[in-house]
Formats: sequence, structure tokens, C-alpha cells
Amino acid sequence: MVELDSHDTTAGEHRSWRSAARVRAGTARGTGGAARARLRLGAAVSVLALLVLAALLVPTLSSAPGTVDYQAVRLSPGPEHPFGTDTSGRDLFVRSLAGLRVSLLVAVVSTAVSALLGTAVGAVSGSLGGWADRLLMRVVDAVNAVPHLLLGIVIVALYQGTVLAVVLSIGLTHWATVARVVRSEVLGLRNRPYVDAAVSSGAGRWWVLRKHLLPAIVPQAALSAVLLVPHAVFHETALSFLGLGLPPHLASIGNILSDGREGVLLGAWWIVAFPAALLVATTLSVSGIAAVWRDRVVPTRRSELAL
Amino acid sequence: MAGLVARRIVLAVPVLLFVSLAVFLLAAASPFDPIHQYYGVQIFDASAADVARVRQQLGLDRPVPLRFLDWLGGVLSGDLGVSRSMRRPVADVLAERLPWTLLLAGCGLALAVVFSLFVGTLAAWRQGGWLDRLITALGHALEGIPPFVVALLAIASFSLGLGWLPVAGLTDAGSALGPAQVAEHLVLPAAVLGLSQSPWLVLHVRQSLLAAFTEDHVTGARARGLRERVVVLRHALPTALLPFVTLIGARVPELVTGAVLVEEVFSWPGVASAVVTAARAADYPLLTVLTLLATAAVLLGSLLADVAAVLLDPRVSADG
Amino acid sequence: MLNRRTLITSSMAALAVASTSCAAPSGTGGGDPANMLLADGYEPSSLNPLLGYARWGAAKFYDGLLAFDGNGRLRPALAAEQPRPSDDARTWTVRLRRGVKFHNGEPFGARDVVATYRAAIDPAYAATISSGLSMLDEVEAVDEHTVRFRLNVPYAAWPARMVMGILPASALAEAIPQERSPLNTQPVGTGPYRLAEWRRGERMVWRANRNYWGGTPRIGEITVVFATDDNTRAQRVQAGEFDGTVLPPLLAERVGGGAYRTVHHDTADYRAITLPADHPVTGDPAVRMALNLAANRSEMVDSLLGGHGEPAYTPIPPSMERFHEPEARLEFDQRRAREILEEGGWRSGSDGIRTRNGTRASFTVMYFADDTLRKKFAQAFASDAGKVGVRVELAGVDRTEAAERIGTDAIVLGGGTPLDPDPQMYPGLHSSMIGTGTYRNPAKYRNSRVDAALDAGRNTVGEAERARHYKEAQRAYVEDPGLVYLAFIQHSYVVRTGVWNGYQPVVEPHTHGTTWGPWWNVEDWTPKK
Repeated sequence: MVELDSHDTTAGEHRSWRSAARVRAGTARGTGGAARARLRLGAAVSVLALLVLAALLVPTLSSAPGTVDYQAVRLSPGPEHPFGTDTSGRDLFVRSLAGLRVSLLVAVVSTAVSALLGTAVGAVSGSLGGWADRLLMRVVDAVNAVPHLLLGIVIVALYQGTVLAVVLSIGLTHWATVARVVRSEVLGLRNRPYVDAAVSSGAGRWWVLRKHLLPAIVPQAALSAVLLVPHAVFHETALSFLGLGLPPHLASIGNILSDGREGVLLGAWWIVAFPAALLVATTLSVSGIAAVWRDRVVPTRRSELAL
Repeated sequence: MAGLVARRIVLAVPVLLFVSLAVFLLAAASPFDPIHQYYGVQIFDASAADVARVRQQLGLDRPVPLRFLDWLGGVLSGDLGVSRSMRRPVADVLAERLPWTLLLAGCGLALAVVFSLFVGTLAAWRQGGWLDRLITALGHALEGIPPFVVALLAIASFSLGLGWLPVAGLTDAGSALGPAQVAEHLVLPAAVLGLSQSPWLVLHVRQSLLAAFTEDHVTGARARGLRERVVVLRHALPTALLPFVTLIGARVPELVTGAVLVEEVFSWPGVASAVVTAARAADYPLLTVLTLLATAAVLLGSLLADVAAVLLDPRVSADG
Repeated sequence: MLNRRTLITSSMAALAVASTSCAAPSGTGGGDPANMLLADGYEPSSLNPLLGYARWGAAKFYDGLLAFDGNGRLRPALAAEQPRPSDDARTWTVRLRRGVKFHNGEPFGARDVVATYRAAIDPAYAATISSGLSMLDEVEAVDEHTVRFRLNVPYAAWPARMVMGILPASALAEAIPQERSPLNTQPVGTGPYRLAEWRRGERMVWRANRNYWGGTPRIGEITVVFATDDNTRAQRVQAGEFDGTVLPPLLAERVGGGAYRTVHHDTADYRAITLPADHPVTGDPAVRMALNLAANRSEMVDSLLGGHGEPAYTPIPPSMERFHEPEARLEFDQRRAREILEEGGWRSGSDGIRTRNGTRASFTVMYFADDTLRKKFAQAFASDAGKVGVRVELAGVDRTEAAERIGTDAIVLGGGTPLDPDPQMYPGLHSSMIGTGTYRNPAKYRNSRVDAALDAGRNTVGEAERARHYKEAQRAYVEDPGLVYLAFIQHSYVVRTGVWNGYQPVVEPHTHGTTWGPWWNVEDWTPKK
């Protein structure tokens, strides 16, 4: 719903209408909501921690996930292979977790690219103001005017089959959200009395930026970055789904699912079921954590950050 | 009003130029060599000398700025270039495919709008009740499921499980193109596209309605003891419609994303699935034009939204 | 080529096949003898012979001067009789069939042949097949029904270049790059079928050419539906929707039976790993020989192709009987491979990877990222190489990256045509081809015995004599291999039984799908009573 922001005046009005609704909804729910949120947060954090730990440790401790063994093709789940084996005889438990590691890594790195780029653009735009601000906001408009998946497809299409392409495809298309949030935060802060005071007492622009603005915008930027992670995972899966994702021999959730199609046809449902379950569990827990954090840190900004 | 439209069109020109230049530069910086596209499998026994000659013949050896100007000049004079993956003019590809995408996206959006208005109103009306909670929860859940998963689930249940609707394509394998065939094949993709767009719309309708309930004229109507149905439909809904219309215009990017995935899953022969074909083949003459087209659609959507907002509510002055 | 396609329709196809409770079959595919409904996994991007459409024949819309007879020989098509070479194989004279008309009604004659071949080598048309005709110096009309080709080198394999489809001179009047030619979507030829409709990404309808010089085809209309996903095609065949399709071997086996018969055709379509001569590891003769002995070809054929293929040691498959040298083999023997590496100075390191004078026995094999089968061959080869202490890294690449790295990194190659041994061996192994094109002898293989035999094969007109030279080339090659040829893959199809007569097995080139396959001679099929 970020797009609403581009409709200058009208958008302002909508936001006020919506926040009114939220305030009402919030009070109606009362304190029961807080307890439920704590529970939700606890569950999400523990699921995510478990998944990340497994993704980090299992492939490292176990034998190499890339080993092809044509004697052990499509074994169903059992004590030896908890998730079964794939059409090339690789253990799926290890391979799925290795894939999860790759998919998460791609998502996190590309989110970091987005967040850094967005924060830089937003901070510069907000603190400089004037023509630089207008120019940067035009660029943001242009980036927002191209549907993200389409722009992402254009980028991967031209650098097909590389990890870098997927990272760039996600990183270069999602920074505009962060830039807007950071910019409006900076604009809000600039008008605060202590910033005014600092400026009028002769402090340099960069000093003010470092001392006052940066500490205030970092949580905002970090939050919008975390909110981007599930989106980045979705983006990577969609690209793989369209046959434009990571190099196909690399273990990633998208590639494993893609490889598993043939297996499913031959009755090996586990080749698709387990990696898909891992993926869903991961994205749901990340967005669960992000949602609780968002409600706590910046309750009024909910509508802007929703992706 | 005319001023608004004119201003937006003037603003759109630099955006479109920027986007086309950006895509063109990306393509130029890409390691991908379009000559491989032109040759296809014939590259395997092509001699280096012949390849160099063909490259020159096609103008691929010219510097990037000149190629961009060539391309831009072509576009302005109505020549959109040649699609290398389809081996035909880009204009032909658009002429053949755009109507199918418009049909699908139009039907999908219409379904989404009708559905969201109905369900969103229902939820707001029963605010806090089990129906409201169910609708809100489902909406949030559906927000998190990618459209292609929805599409696969729909095919698995309605085509393969129940056998009600065809799996994919525009017509059955051997059949000629006709309205009945197309209608039958349109149902599932349009429904999936509509459904994947509706969570935001449903939640939005609900919220705007809740907000509208607090406005003076609505509380006044309630106070006058009007029936709840009349209050909701006559007084609250019109107030809530304005932000809704704006939201629809602003959702064109998501509609495009949805169309890409849905067309691909259902082998729908529209421009959105051509994006994927073009991308797989790094066919950037086609890809550039399709990106521009999508960008223009987004800008048009936001313009229409603002025009509608101004028409519906004179208090709003867009670009004010 | 097998595409790595999206998840897309596969999951549902899987569901359908698993439950076999598919949606009700619809359409006209039900064995109506006058109509045929086929499914193809590959949609041509252009129907223009100058851009490579059906360059090894079976073009349906076009005829070549010659056509493949299915048994490794060429028979006259638009030629009235076999072409007559001069003694030095540099001049070829062809008498043309009379009374043939193009689909647009224009009569066929010498000027059309001249226009087609001239366009193929004229840079202004930017034809992608020009390199294959580099030996053509000039083509001229001797009279209205005779043409003469003059070649710049002796070239006994020239008839294999005469299967290319002939276009009407009128369609080539304008010398433009062929990407803009209307022939790409509206073919005009003399072939048994004309194009009635083509909905991109959906289907193509061929209608019988009533004026076909070989007699009007009995199957009046053939619809080819494009469905890239293998599983989708399998599912739809199983639902009875199609009269036949092309499938990977295992799926074809699974779907065949009942009303369908599964057929596997021999091919000249090989898969091989190049071993770049300039690379410090793959350039070493001991490593080359050891890798050739270490590759477990028959296991690859069994596990990757379900047994539907044949181990390859050289580029000449057993199905090209007259030219195949059965003695040219490199038997699987990993113990011997290890010995050869030891003798060559490659000692086992602590991590199981051999080294020699500080050089680790390690190199990279590239494969096209969109090709599942090549990926599997690369993985299987890497696994076998690892067993003798040679580390193989894999890299999925696109065409451009492959072209940039092909001189220094190994790659999985594929291709082949059964029409003649020359195009099968010369571009890939003759040292004169080094540096003349990306995929021409990309590994820079040099062997003077192989060169001499291949040259002799080009310069000799008599068939028995030529066969002797090519057998010698194969024997010389296996003593000093520069690639690891892994397998010739069979192409697998399912065909509806009991409706038509006329199916005849064929040895296929790399190209396959509905133009080749069981339907390579579909114009001669007749309905069963």
C-alpha cells in the first residue's frame, strides 16, 4: 500500500482515516491482544531459531549434500533419510536444509542491499531537501512505476543463472520502500526543536545527521528491512518458479522444488512436500516476528510498511 | 481536471524515458550477447567470421548510445523493433497478445472488486464477530501465499480433482478459437487473479467502512434510528468508496505481477507470459517494450485513480 | 533440447497421473484418420530455412533437393535423380524435378534453387546457416531445370547440405536480415503440408498440400499443440487427448501401453565433455585417457536415460552402420585409469585429489543451465572423475558465458546428424577448425592421423572408400582422445496405434519433436481400414 504515498494530498487523507480505524480497533481489542502478541512472538522466534540453526549446522556436520548416488534414487522417508532422497539419490534432509541456507542467505543479502541503498537515498533526500530531494523522489517514483517482479525479471534475464543476478534483482527493486520510510522520518526529525537548536547553534549538517538523525532512523530502516525478508524469499521462489532463478545445480529451495517435479510424478511426494514446508515455516515465522515488532515499535506506521 | 491530466502526462514522459534508458543500459552492460539469440542452435557450427558479419548486418556492433537513439527513433516513428525470441516485429506480438491480457486482467480486477466490496462490507458490518474475524484472518493468510501457489491449488482442485474446468490454454487442444471455448478457459485464471488481488481490497474496504462509521453524517444517520442496512449501504459505503477507487488504481503493479504468474501457470497467451518467454531468451527488444507498457499501465492507473477521486469528491484536489 | 521449465503445470500433471482420474478428454484427438493431433515440447521460433528451420530435412512445409530415406541414405526429392559430382568432388550438377509448384502457385525451377542457396551465403540476408555452406563458391542455373554448385574445396559430403528447404525466388527478392522476413511465420515451400494456422505458444495447424508432387497426403490436417512441460504432455496423452508426442524415455515408458505404443529411435545425437588442450590438467594425455576409462557410460545410459541410449566413444554412432568402427572403444576400467594417472605423475593428495608438481587435478565442466539432461551428465561425469582422484567443479552457464570460457573450461556438448560422418566429425575434431568459431573444435584437439583421415574422407567420392577413411579416423581418435564422448541418446515417443499404417523407424539428428520422430514420413501414412 506504499503506492498510496505517491498520491500526495489524497494519500494524506486516507492515512488519517485509516489510523482512526486502527485506534478504534486497538482499544476494542484491549489487553488480550498484548498477551497474544507475546505468545505469537515466542512461537515465531523459536521456530525461526530452530530452522536457522538446523540450516547452519546440519549441512556442515553431515556428508556433502551434492553427492549423487544412483543406487539410492527416490528412497521414501525412513530412519536413514528422514526426508527421503531425490531423483539423483541425494539425501533430502541435508539438501533441503542446505537449500534453506542458500535461499535465506540470498534473501538476507539482497534485503541488506535494499536496506542500505534505501537508507542512503532516504537520508540524503530527507536531509538535503531542495532539488536533490525532488530528483531522488522522481527516481523513487520511476522505480515504483515498474512492477517489482517485472523489473526483477528484466535484471535476472540479462544476467541469467548467477547468484549475483538474483541478489541484485531483489536488492535493486525493493529499496524504494525503505527510502520513503527513512525520508519521512528524517523530514519529521528535522523539524524537531533539538535538531533546530543544534543547527542554529552552528552544528554542521553532517554532524547533525550523525548525532541526531542516524540513531533515530536506524530502527526504522532495520524494521523495514526485516519486513522485506519474507518478500525477498517469495521473490526468489517466484523467479525460480519462472525458470529464471539461481544456477540449477545449486541447492536452493526453489531449485529443489523444481527438480522435484519429476519425482512427484513418479510417486515421490516427499521431494516437494518437505522443502515446501520448510519454506513456508521460515517465511511465516519471519513475518510473525516482524509483525509483532512493527506493532510495538511504530504502531501508527503499520499501513505504510505493509507489503 | 484537464490540467491534472496534462501535468501527469508531462511527468510521465521523463519517467518512461528513464525506464527505457535504464533497461537499455542494463541490457548493454549485460554479458549476454544477442547474437546467440539470433543464431539459436545454429551457433554450434557457425564460423567466427560469419558471426561477425551477421553482427554487423544487424547493427549490433554499433556503440550503445547510437543503438539507443536508433531504437528510440524507431519507437517514435512506430517501429518497435523485432522480437528475437519470436522472430517477428514486436508490434505484431503486442497486437496478438495484448487483447488476451486485457481480457484476463479486466475480468480478474472486476471479480476482485465485486468480491471485495461484498466481503469487506460484510466484515465491517459484523465488526468483531466471528465472520469478521474469519474474513480478516483469511485475508491476512492469503496475503502471504504467492499467486502461483493459489493457481496450482485451483488447478489441482477444480481441473484435476473435480474436472469442472480445463487445465490451461486458450482453447482445448484440437478446438477452434471461439467465445464459448475462451470463456470456459478464462474462468479459472480470472478467478485466481481476482482472488490473489482481493485480500488487500477486502481489508481496505473493511477499514474504510469502519472509519466511515465514525464520520458525522453516518453517526447522525444512526442516531436518527435508520436501519443498519441503510446506514451501511447508503451512508457509510459511498464515503468508503473514494479511498477504495484510489487503491484500485494504485494496485496496477500487483495486478501486473499477478498477471505474469497467472498467465504463465495457465499458459494464457497474453503479454504477461511473453515477459517470461522474452526473459528466458534474453530477448530485450521485446522485454524493453513490455516493461515500458507495464510502466505506462501503472502511471495510467494512478492517473485514473486520481481523476476518479476528484470526480467523486470535489473536496480532493489532486496535485494541489 | 530438454528445457528446465518452471514448476508450473507439473504439480497438477503429477496429481493427475498419480490419480489417473484426469479431466475428461476433449478436442478431436481420438483417432480420426483424416486428422492427427500431436503435442510437441519445442516450438520453433522461425519457420525460415535460412534461419535454420529443419536444416537436416523432414521440413513438412519445404522440400530439399534431397531427402533422408530413414536408413542412412539420401534419396532425390526436388532433384529428379542423385546429384552428379565431378571427379574431384568440387562441382555438383543436379537435374530438377519438373511440374512442381510452390504453395502460392508459382512453378518451381532452377532460379528458386539458385536464389535460396545464394541467400544462404549472402551476408545481406544474415542467414544463420551460412557457415555450414562455407564450401559453396557459386550456384548457377545451367538451364531452367538444372543447377550446378561449384565448391571452393573438394567436398564429398555435399549431398548432406542438399536437404535444406527450397524457397521461392520471389520471397527472397528483398535482401534483408531474415529476422524481418515474413517467411519466419508464413512459410512458402513445395512441401507436403502448408501452414494453415499458427497461434504462438499454443498450436500450429498443417493442411495437406493438394498439389503435392508426391501425391496428396492422406492425413488431411495435422494439429501440433505446444506444451513445453514434459509432465503436462504425459498427462494429456494419458487422458487420450493426443495421437502422439515426444517424451523423456522414462515418462514415455510410463505413458505407453493400451492405445499407445512407445518407440525409441536411435540417433546421432551425442553428449560429450570437452577436454581443453590448453588447460594444465585436461591438456595432459594421461588425464584425458584416464577420464575416458573412468566414465561409467553404461551406468549413465541406464540411470539417466533409462537404458534408452548407447555408450559413445567417438562421434560416430553404431546406427551409422557403414561408417561406424566397432573396434574404436574405450572400455570402462577405473583401476586402469588410476594406473595411467600414477604413471603420468599424478599422485594422490591427502584430500583424495591428485596433484602433479603442485598442480591439482581439478577443472570445471560447464553445462547449459536450462538443460536438465546435460546437467545430469555433468554430475555423473564429475562423480566418476572423483572416483579416480580428479576433482570436477560444475558451472551452470548461459550461451554467452559458455562462449567466453569454452577455450579454458570443459563443457557438456551435444548434437549430431546421421546424414554424413563429415559434419559429425570434421568441425569438432579437425585441427584446421581451431579458432574459426566458438563451437568448432572448442577443445583445440590436434591429431595429425585424425586430420589426414578426415581430409581423405572429404576428398574421396566413393562411399566404400570414404567409410574406410572415417573408420581410420575413429581408431586414431580413441588412441588419443580429446573429449569424453559419453552417450548417444535415443529419442522417445508415444504414438497412437491402430489408426494409421506407415510408421517406419528412423535414425534421427539432434533435432527432434513432431517434424522428426515417428512422423518424419507422415505424408506417406495411410488410414487403416
